[in-house]
Amino acid sequence: MLKSLFALGIALPLTAFAADSYTVDSTHTYPHFSISHLGFSTMQGRFDDTSGKITLDRAAKSGSVEITIKTASVSTGFAKRDDHLKSPDFFNAAEFPSITYKSTAMRFKGDIPSSVDGNLTLSGVTKPVTLTIDAFNCGTHPMNKKEVCGAAASTQIKRSDFGVKYGLPGVGDDVKLVFEIEAVKN
Amino acid sequence: MQDLLNHPAVQAGFAPFLIALIISELFLRIRLSGLAIIAGFAATVYLVSDFGIEPLTATRKIIWLGIGSAALGLAFGSSISNWRSWLLIALSAAAANWTLWRILEQQELNMMLQWGAACGAYVAILVWGMDKLLEKETLRVSCAATALGIGTGGAALIGASALLGQFGLAVGSAAAAPLIIKFISNQPLPTGRMFTLPIALIAGLTGCVAVLSATVPWYALAILAGIPITAWLMPLPKHPIRIQILLLTFVTFVFVASAIYVTWRVAGDVPL
Repeated sequence: MLKSLFALGIALPLTAFAADSYTVDSTHTYPHFSISHLGFSTMQGRFDDTSGKITLDRAAKSGSVEITIKTASVSTGFAKRDDHLKSPDFFNAAEFPSITYKSTAMRFKGDIPSSVDGNLTLSGVTKPVTLTIDAFNCGTHPMNKKEVCGAAASTQIKRSDFGVKYGLPGVGDDVKLVFEIEAVKN
Repeated sequence: MQDLLNHPAVQAGFAPFLIALIISELFLRIRLSGLAIIAGFAATVYLVSDFGIEPLTATRKIIWLGIGSAALGLAFGSSISNWRSWLLIALSAAAANWTLWRILEQQELNMMLQWGAACGAYVAILVWGMDKLLEKETLRVSCAATALGIGTGGAALIGASALLGQFGLAVGSAAAAPLIIKFISNQPLPTGRMFTLPIALIAGLTGCVAVLSATVPWYALAILAGIPITAWLMPLPKHPIRIQILLLTFVTFVFVASAIYVTWRVAGDVPL
């Protein structure tokens, strides 16, 4: 019994250390969104300032994701529209400077993460959102020789669920979110 | 019908005007026609936003403070008294800082104090100015209220957001309803603090949020602050009421046009 407890005492910290932690590479991480504009076209936009932390334990099939997006970094290629997106009609950047996503669970197919459950906080409203991981790859960076993981994750939300109702129904309610992420092992 | 109600001109122009017109006429005999402002504003809120509380954003605070100010104005009546005016000025400055708190707390201390003091002063000046107008002819109140609402709404629409623009235009349109009644009937119409306090508070807070959260320049608000002061100082010769309304409207709308122009110079056209 004592032996078992001793073995468990050693094993638990080892398991805890087995999870690798990564820091999101802001220069290669861009959340994108697309939304219908009056039914004529699909507008694309992105956020230019994203940070976060990821932990991953592929053996234990667990992990966590914490992403923070600076709301004011929204970019659609047209400054006047970006100003409007930052206004209280849409993202309300002055009052809510960050959009955050915090995972609650990570699911795997084999040793590859396949989806992440978590909470998205946008404009002060928090709702559960599941990200589907469409692509995932880890390896050694050819230049700096650090271990890097990259992923593409996507989901679809209704902006009205987060209280962003301006322009409905002309400007679409359904928003497709795509997160292109690179993270460097610490 | 739904398409009609979704049209911004109906939401922030026709609907609040119509509701305010009905309330002005219905409540005239019980001397509560001043509630036309908040009734018109509430109609616009119903059409473009909601009466929710969570999350308590600055725009939601404007809605609830506007409604609360109408009740306070009703309780305070129209009698001229210094302590009532000073209390309203102090409360409105505090309301401005509460409304903007989430934005202010993200600034550095220096900026936080500057913006907090400036916005508190702006809202207080509007409340004081509109309250002071109660000592004069009621048509001065209505003309100043219409100009203040439309000026704030126009500037916010160009330089900030459609929602803030609609808030300003709604109170401007609502204030225009009793003005039209006065113009047609050639008779003065009672207003009171239930009329002046919501217009000053909603326009003041909307202007401050538009400056701090978007690209409306601060000097557009400085221009708008001149409206109640000008309406108070302007000499009105003993002309018929219709001529007096036209004169006051012309002069106050010089301030409206100026505030919208300087905002347009900074922010550019509205994207469609």
